[in-house]
Amino acid sequence: MHRQYLDMLSAIVIACSLMFVTVSNALAQPILEPWDRFEIVKVWCSGEREARIISFQSLLEDVVDADAPAQQWAANLIGEYRDGNFRCARDTVYIPNDEQFLDVITGDRFKAIPDDAEKPFLNIPLRRALAPFASAVQLVAAEAPEERLLAAQGLARTLGDVSPALIESIYRQEKDMQVAAALEDVLVPAWLKSGDTDAQLKAISTLASNYTRTSRAALDKFLDQKTENVSEAVRTAAESARSSVHWVVQLSEVMTVAYHGLSYGSVLFLAALGLAIIFGLMGVINLAQAEFVMLGAYATWFVQEALRALAPGLLEYYLFIAIPFAFLVPALVGAFMEWSIVRHLYSRPLLTLLATWAVSLLLINLVRVTVGTQNLSFFTPEYLKSGFTVFGEFSITWSRLLSIFFAGITLIGTLFVIYRTRFGLRMRATTQHRQMAGCVGVSTRRTDAMAFAFGSGLAGIAGLALSTIYNVNPTMGTSLIIDSFIVVVVGGVGSVLGTALAALGIGQLNAIIEPQYGAVASKVLVLLAVILFIQQKPNGLFPRKGRR
Amino acid sequence: MKRRSFIKGVGVAGLAMSAPGIILPAWSQEKVKLGCLFSSSGSMANVEGRLNYVVRMAAEELNRSGGVLGRQIEVVSTDPASDWPLYGQQARQLLEEEKVAAMFGCWTSASRKAVLPVVEQNDGLLYYPLHFEGEENSKNIVYMNSPPASSVLPALEYLMGDNGGKARRFFMLGSDYVWPRTINAQLKGYLQEKWDIKPDAWQEEYVPVGHSDFQSLVNQIKSFADESGEQPIVVLTVVGNSIPNFFQEYINQGITALDVPVLGLDVVEADLEGLDTESLVGHLNCWAYLQNAPGEANQRFLNAWSEYVKANNVPFRGDVAIDPMVSAYSSVYMWAQAAEKAGSFDVPEVRKAFPGTNFDCPSGYNIKLTAENNYVHRGVFIGSVNQNQGFDIVWQSPETTTPVPYSSYI
Repeated sequence: MHRQYLDMLSAIVIACSLMFVTVSNALAQPILEPWDRFEIVKVWCSGEREARIISFQSLLEDVVDADAPAQQWAANLIGEYRDGNFRCARDTVYIPNDEQFLDVITGDRFKAIPDDAEKPFLNIPLRRALAPFASAVQLVAAEAPEERLLAAQGLARTLGDVSPALIESIYRQEKDMQVAAALEDVLVPAWLKSGDTDAQLKAISTLASNYTRTSRAALDKFLDQKTENVSEAVRTAAESARSSVHWVVQLSEVMTVAYHGLSYGSVLFLAALGLAIIFGLMGVINLAQAEFVMLGAYATWFVQEALRALAPGLLEYYLFIAIPFAFLVPALVGAFMEWSIVRHLYSRPLLTLLATWAVSLLLINLVRVTVGTQNLSFFTPEYLKSGFTVFGEFSITWSRLLSIFFAGITLIGTLFVIYRTRFGLRMRATTQHRQMAGCVGVSTRRTDAMAFAFGSGLAGIAGLALSTIYNVNPTMGTSLIIDSFIVVVVGGVGSVLGTALAALGIGQLNAIIEPQYGAVASKVLVLLAVILFIQQKPNGLFPRKGRR
Repeated sequence: MKRRSFIKGVGVAGLAMSAPGIILPAWSQEKVKLGCLFSSSGSMANVEGRLNYVVRMAAEELNRSGGVLGRQIEVVSTDPASDWPLYGQQARQLLEEEKVAAMFGCWTSASRKAVLPVVEQNDGLLYYPLHFEGEENSKNIVYMNSPPASSVLPALEYLMGDNGGKARRFFMLGSDYVWPRTINAQLKGYLQEKWDIKPDAWQEEYVPVGHSDFQSLVNQIKSFADESGEQPIVVLTVVGNSIPNFFQEYINQGITALDVPVLGLDVVEADLEGLDTESLVGHLNCWAYLQNAPGEANQRFLNAWSEYVKANNVPFRGDVAIDPMVSAYSSVYMWAQAAEKAGSFDVPEVRKAFPGTNFDCPSGYNIKLTAENNYVHRGVFIGSVNQNQGFDIVWQSPETTTPVPYSSYI
């Protein structure tokens, strides 16, 4: 009896203590404890890859039940880790923050960190494994819908080792429509695999609203597998979704090619326009034209550097602030070149060819010794980064769009100058009949000089537009000059519209041929087409009407 | 920029134009001449131009310590203007008119192939500082850098392994000339024989040298990556200014190293100048030297270079060093050592002295020549782009490797 009593008592004590342990485990917010924080960053800094991945996993599990400050801390931590901002010291990790360093464990700020603080190297497989965990932790922790959307989109790339059940439970509680839609994309593979007809139909309808190659591939894969547990309804839905996705993807691929043609055409147009005007008006073959493009790009860079030093707030808009400079600098150099060299050689066009070529070499080397040969570093404003998807696989990058925009503006501006200003009138008169224009009082010499400066300035605008898509260095122009000449010759000497059409046509032809036969063949075929065209229409698309 | 250096610059530019061949006249009989064949204009100028200065720097260092065989060195520079046949012509001029004891030059294999018959005819000596496709072993060329078996293949193996992300699909994009085509032929053989990978797992594309518009190619890479679930990579063998232009487009179209890593075989630190490397972190390259190489020899070299840049107003960055610079720099020392050992500047004598010459290279390895061939034994680095326009070392070989000039995979 006594014995039994004791046994019972001890059982109660054990049970109680067990209960206490579990309760205290549930109460503690493990990732808030400095010791746990230390453990986490230690593994992340120097653990094996598997250990790190296990640590991400357990952090995600802990975060789900943690309180808001702990969630916030974890989300920040894993985000900084992913972005490569860790500086691992012996007993903690520092993160650069406002020109100071933040100790992630204690939250203290420091002016400097120990010399042996190292940046951990994250290789590609680790970063691939990390990315979905980082997004998942941020999804759990974030409050604002925008942040949640960003995290959900991050997960849509791949779910990795994150458990679909967790995302599913978040998805069921999600109130924001956009975030929920993004989470549906994330859950598609899990739903397809589930074997549950409703889930599969939902997955297929999600895929059917995503006109991408990935969703086409997912549907193909789903249709290919020979599983009996797929019901007839699901199969039909998948097949019709596949055909509609396929159709839209193909259309978007055609649009992509057309857009590439347009954007390459706009580059060609920008580079060739100044040349067309100078060549058309004076018959001067200006081989230094490509270097004016380069000068325009350098002027843009100087404006950027000046803004960086004087008005950092305006740096975002340097591309627009630089427009007058990118026009004026080459225009002034062009005017000087016309006055000092070209003017004396009007009667000997072959010599202008040589002289302008010499000027082109001079300009290249001048820039090389003054600024250096390295590629210039351009600041990419936020609004120019990446781009947007129009539909399906047809996406547009902002920088290319900007160059198309500049081409359009330049075209309109040039047409306005030529057809609506007195300078344009004189220029047209001189182009049509130089002597006659001189007889009625047009100062042809001055018109020449101004037209030369104008054409040079236009090349500068091209340099500005190109600085966002190509690299800027002293020799950047040399690859453009031949293409520009082809455009001018095809377009018809001196014709602005002809230049635009020729640039578009050649750009389009390039864009169509290149994916099929490669870049080398496309150069050959385009040149062949140009030769055949010139043979049929030696004066180009829009031959000059005036008498020579 | 000070006015004097500006004037000097204009003067140099003018001189370069008036005599696009040899710049400096022969004016000193006691000096021994070395020739440089690196372009300072054209598509290769940004990377090749640096090598002229680094050869001069090595020569100055040797001169300060008494020269070679008691004679001071004079470096004769040329500008072949990234025009392959011009390299051959100017090599001939250097050998026949300037009577240089050795030449240091060429970046692309196309330019080396142009110089090859010239040095063989005149029994000259060319030190070639680039890693390349191999398949060549001339007694008149010292190959300072590695053939594919000790650079490209280890890097590919890394990318296909566990730590590199198990790449199984390959988009090979190169400039259209001998190096990319031979490299890709070897890669295809290697993939088929060693990994049993089928031809539908790769796509091969070439662009003209100097090509700058990569939008449709990057778009092709995107659709190539979407075709199958297996991990794709890009093996990039474009050269010169095509490299930054390619990466610019890669950034603009929003592809990251997590989606499709790029193994850039000709990508050096200098190509990243001016790019937003934040979006490029994780792309890889492989060389026999990276600027982050550990060791004192590297620190010494980097300090010397940045001081040289400051003192001589060199139009390149003093804080960027690339493999071919180190290879060209080392080659001057390798030549000096062979000449000292031979006790003569005559090419046949110097050549006889090659086996056993070695140099503590800034890469941290003791590089050497053996009697077997004219390939220098180098170490291997695999680098990964970091945020600071440089490369982190992800792997490096424990020892120098024995070069295998002729690949068994062709």
